[in-house]
Parts: sequence; structure tokens; C-alpha cells
Amino acid sequence: MTEKLLSLANLDPWLARLRERGSVYAPGTDQAGEVALREWPQPEPLVLDYKNFREPPKAFFLPRNQTLLYFRDGKTVELNSAVPETFLFGIRPCDARALALLDRVFLDGDQNDPYYARLREKTTVIALACAQAMPSCFCASVGSGPGDGSGADLLAVALESGLLFRAGSGKGEGLLAEAADLLAEATPAAKREAAERIQGVTAQLTPVPTADSALRLRGSYDSPLWGTAGQKCLGCGTCSFLCPTCHCFDITDEPDRRVRTWDCCAYPQFTLHASGHNPRPTPKERWRQRLMHKFRYAVENFGVPFCAGCGRCIRNCPVSMDLRTVLKELGA
Amino acid sequence: MAESRQLEAQLRETAEKLLREKNVSLFVGYEKASLPFRTTPLLLTKTEEAPRLVWNPFCNANLSVYLPRLFLAPADARAAKAAPAPPRVGVVLKGCDSRAVAVLLQEKQVRRENLVLVGIHCPGIVDRRKAEKALGEHQALGAGEDGGGNIRVVVEDGTESTLRREDVLADACLECRSPAPALHDILLGAPGEAARTGTARPGTARTRTAEFESRPLEARWAGFQEVIARCIRCNACRQACPLCYCKTCIFEQNRPRWIGPGTDPSDLALYHLIRAFHLAGRCTECGACERACPMGIDVRLLARKLSAEVEDLYGYRPGESVEATPVLSSFALDDPQDFVTEP
Repeated sequence: MTEKLLSLANLDPWLARLRERGSVYAPGTDQAGEVALREWPQPEPLVLDYKNFREPPKAFFLPRNQTLLYFRDGKTVELNSAVPETFLFGIRPCDARALALLDRVFLDGDQNDPYYARLREKTTVIALACAQAMPSCFCASVGSGPGDGSGADLLAVALESGLLFRAGSGKGEGLLAEAADLLAEATPAAKREAAERIQGVTAQLTPVPTADSALRLRGSYDSPLWGTAGQKCLGCGTCSFLCPTCHCFDITDEPDRRVRTWDCCAYPQFTLHASGHNPRPTPKERWRQRLMHKFRYAVENFGVPFCAGCGRCIRNCPVSMDLRTVLKELGA
Repeated sequence: MAESRQLEAQLRETAEKLLREKNVSLFVGYEKASLPFRTTPLLLTKTEEAPRLVWNPFCNANLSVYLPRLFLAPADARAAKAAPAPPRVGVVLKGCDSRAVAVLLQEKQVRRENLVLVGIHCPGIVDRRKAEKALGEHQALGAGEDGGGNIRVVVEDGTESTLRREDVLADACLECRSPAPALHDILLGAPGEAARTGTARPGTARTRTAEFESRPLEARWAGFQEVIARCIRCNACRQACPLCYCKTCIFEQNRPRWIGPGTDPSDLALYHLIRAFHLAGRCTECGACERACPMGIDVRLLARKLSAEVEDLYGYRPGESVEATPVLSSFALDDPQDFVTEP
């Protein structure tokens, strides 16, 4: 695992070099005044000390509106597979971890999804360790953390004088080798500073008891708490659409093409059968499914909860529901 | 407001009494949420839980959104026969929320005899996004209200700061013309709190619409496109709206599917146009849609214009009275017909 130092003065030249190979997205302030991943360069300077983006970067890999194939003269025509090289700089470790989780669904085994695979392969992920935790953050409770590099090709830690890079994949190693003239050796002092910074952010996190979730949730399928949660849930789907690991989709045919769009288990139509029967007829069953999928079925199937602890569902719920509260209550 | 505490105590007493005397079997109010600047709805059935109720400037949701589903008869005839009698429900309502209940009553979605409406004179509520933005890179660990109605915040390093009320009130509240509940069985608080703090700017909605309208056509179209381009089609605006109660929304009908589920530009435009038209003459301007939007979209852009049109053309404001004939259900020979064009 190679570690290198990039001085802040060399950050723009390095991004410019990546720009020659493809599109570069980096944190900047958008029209609404929020820090978001924006195509680089922008007139405004890069932002490195943001909390996290409003949206996770999953739309880069699972576009909201993805044409899968076209219908032409009674035949189906595969989409041209040319995908541009893309570099995402500055996504937070939780969102990078979410990509590692999505890989388990879309890349592992015989369920290789060519559309996802293509975008994932052509996209290089450079994560940036957190500088600050939010009260809604709980990454460390789901096996991740503010310095987690899984899912990223490179993990950067912002230090006083520059960035400490840690390669997380062959692609990441390659990037560091190519930029050798811009990089310096990582000094023990820099490594120590990086570790201290990550520890500092980890200390800000409030633990959530989820480690044994699968075991605990196995016994709570009929808990009255699902009814309480379902009664409050508006069924809007914001939690799922802003979740970096939620990945369910719908496929519809337009007159000239087949399109894949995001879908969500909070919607009644998600499980509605052609017969009219709905196995998840009320918000209660739908809410239970979302939590069970993340914290029980995923643990049973993949050994990890399908949650990166980013807290977007908590921050953005129109009625301020908090899955941490429900997990705690279920464990009580 | 200093009165918040007092109102909160009255509210708890009221809920406790309604439940204890079996006037209601369910009481819908707000309780403390896990994050600052927020509350979360509380659906109470036990008197001993009444102390969990809160009343503060973070009581954001329009609770009338929960009412239609409580009175929904099961679709299946056999299930309908076995279904329990509809509950008697007590519900906390701000001015705008009470107008939504009035519309729900006009549209026969709820049963008046099963409702106990607890109105509260509303001094306006905080838009959490404005508050979070005002703090910059600081983050709140706790928030409350000071004696002057401003918002006191404790941030991560333990220091306290104060956010000015008018800087963080929700847009719909700044634009509000009727903070007093129009319809209520029990009324808490005193009128004029918003006026006293000088935050009410009831002309703002029209000023904003006029500003948008003053732009050339292409700029208006571009502006609309820009507003909706951020939409992720999550349905938060629709689900937070008490008046979007259709059993099967047009966006979900799939035999045929009228509009695609994704973010194709024409689907996005249709989504927002259809929603605006379905709320024309019905929207009570609570702003729940706007505050629910995770993308910070001005989802009331079209609604503000339509509300002004309905008021100017027909002198009608939705929800002011249950007895009034809804504007889309009435016809008068002298109704304006300028918009009718030759085919």
C-alpha cells in the first residue's frame, strides 16, 4: 500500500493532469450555495473542509435515467458502450464504502451488471477523509469510519500542508506512479498527523448498536415497533433516493427505448403484483423491509450491513425519522 | 416565544384530557427529534405519553397529512367488513394546517365528527435548511428559542450563538397571511405573535411571483427548467402534502403509464406541472412540500402563481371556510372567460 504526499500547491496541477484523460469532478459550491461534486475546473476554488454532499455519488454509477437499449425497425439495438473516463475527487469515505457494497450486488459472482460494471471501471474514485463528523454520522458503527478507504482507488487525508494519499487499488497505485514528479514521500510525521486527524473525527461519532443487527432483527419481525414506524412514515422515498447503498431500480419501455430508473421499497407499487395482490400492503411492511434489507438480509447474504452510516436518511426525512432510534428500540 | 413553554404545557394537558376522557383514541402532535431544528410527529394513544408532546418553532410537518389515511376504507369488501370503526382523532394544527383540514372536509376525505382539532396560533416555524446554512461549517448540537423568539444554538465546540428569527423562518411562514387556525375545536395561544416580532411579510409571495413573471418567456422557461433540473423524483413533496391523497396517483398509474418514473426532462416538467395544477384552488400554502424536498427545490414556484390567480379571479382562498364552495366546483355566469380561446 503506497503512501505519498501532495502539497496543496500541486493539487490543481495534478487535477489538470487527470483532466487531460477525462472528466474530473471535485467539491465546489453549486448555485444553491451547497458544496457538491462539480465538474472541475470551476471559477470558484475547491472546497476541502465540507461535511458531505447533499447527494451521494451513486448517480455516477447508477444513473437516474439510464437507457439500456433502443428499439429500431423492430429490433433492439444495444447502447454504444463508449463510456468516458471519469475521476471523482473528494467523495467522503462513507460514500466510497457504499460503492464497495454496491460492487457486491452488481459485480460479484454471476450477477455482473454490465451497465454498472462499465461505469465503475471507467471511473476512478479518490476519497477524502472527513474533517468533521455530523451528529447524524455513524459510519464507525457499520464497519466503516472517517478514514475508510474501501471502495476508493485512493484515499486522501487533508493535512495542514497538503494531502496524504493512500492507494487502495491497482488503479490508485497507477495514479500515484504517474504523478511521481508531483508527489513526495510520506513522512512519518505526515502519517502520524493523518492518523490523529482521523482519530479525532472518529471520537466525535456516537456509537449505534448495530453490530449484531442480523441476530437481533431475526427475532423482531413481528415487533409492534414496525407499526409505529409505518404509521409515521410518509412513504416518500427520500431516504432511499439519497441513500448511497439503496440500489433498487425499475425498467420501463418508452416508444423508442428501454430505460432503467431508480425505484424504492417505500412505494406501494414496488411490490404490487399484476393480480392486484400486494405482499407489502401498508407502510409498516415497507418500512420493515427497508430496515431488514439493510441490517439483516444484507448481513446474512454478504456479511456486512448495507448501510454506510452517512446519515442522509436521518438529515433529510421530512418527518425526521431516525433509523438509529428504531434499531436501538428493537434491541431493547 | 416565551409563550412556547406555556403553550407546550397546555398542549400536553389538552391531549392528556382528550385521551383520558376518551374523546379521542389517537392524538397526533410533535415530539423531540434526534437532530436539532427538527421535531418528529408523535401518534399518541396513551395518556402517560402526553408529556412527550412538544410545541416549539421546529414543529414543521403539516400533521393533517396523516388524517385521510386514518379514514381510508379497505379496498377489499371482506376486509372492510372486518375493519374496526374509524378512530376519533385529536390533531395539532397551525393556521395553514387547519386550512388543509378544511379542504379535506370539503372534499370528504375525513369525518368531522371523528376529529378534535387543536389549533395553535402559529408564530412561524424554522426552515432547518436555512438554520443549518446560517451556521456555515459549524454544526448545531442543540437548538431552542430565546425570549425574543430568536433561535439559540449550541454548536460543536460548546459555544452558543443566536440566529435571528427572520433569517431562519420558513418562506411559507414569512409569506403567511393567516397564522391563526381557521377551524378548531380547541384553540391555544394568542393571536399576533408573528406581527409582534415583525417577521411577517405577507406580500412576499406576490413579489416573488412578479419578479419571475417580469422575465422574458425564454428566461422563465429556463428558470423553470433550472428549478426542476435538481429534482430526483423521490415524491417527498407529494407525500408531505395533505391534499395529495389520491389512492393511486397519476404518476403511479401504469395501464397506461402516463409519465415515466425517471428524470427525463419532459417527465420532470410534467411531474411539477401536473402537481401544480392538481393543487390549484386547493393549496393552503403551508410549504410542507418545499421543506420536505431533499434537494432544496423551490417547489412552490408555480403554486404561488396559481394561488394568486385563484384569489384575483375568483376571490377565493382555499381552506378559509368549510362552507365555501371550492373554486373548481363552482360556476357563475360572470366567471372570467378571457382564457377561453378559439380552437
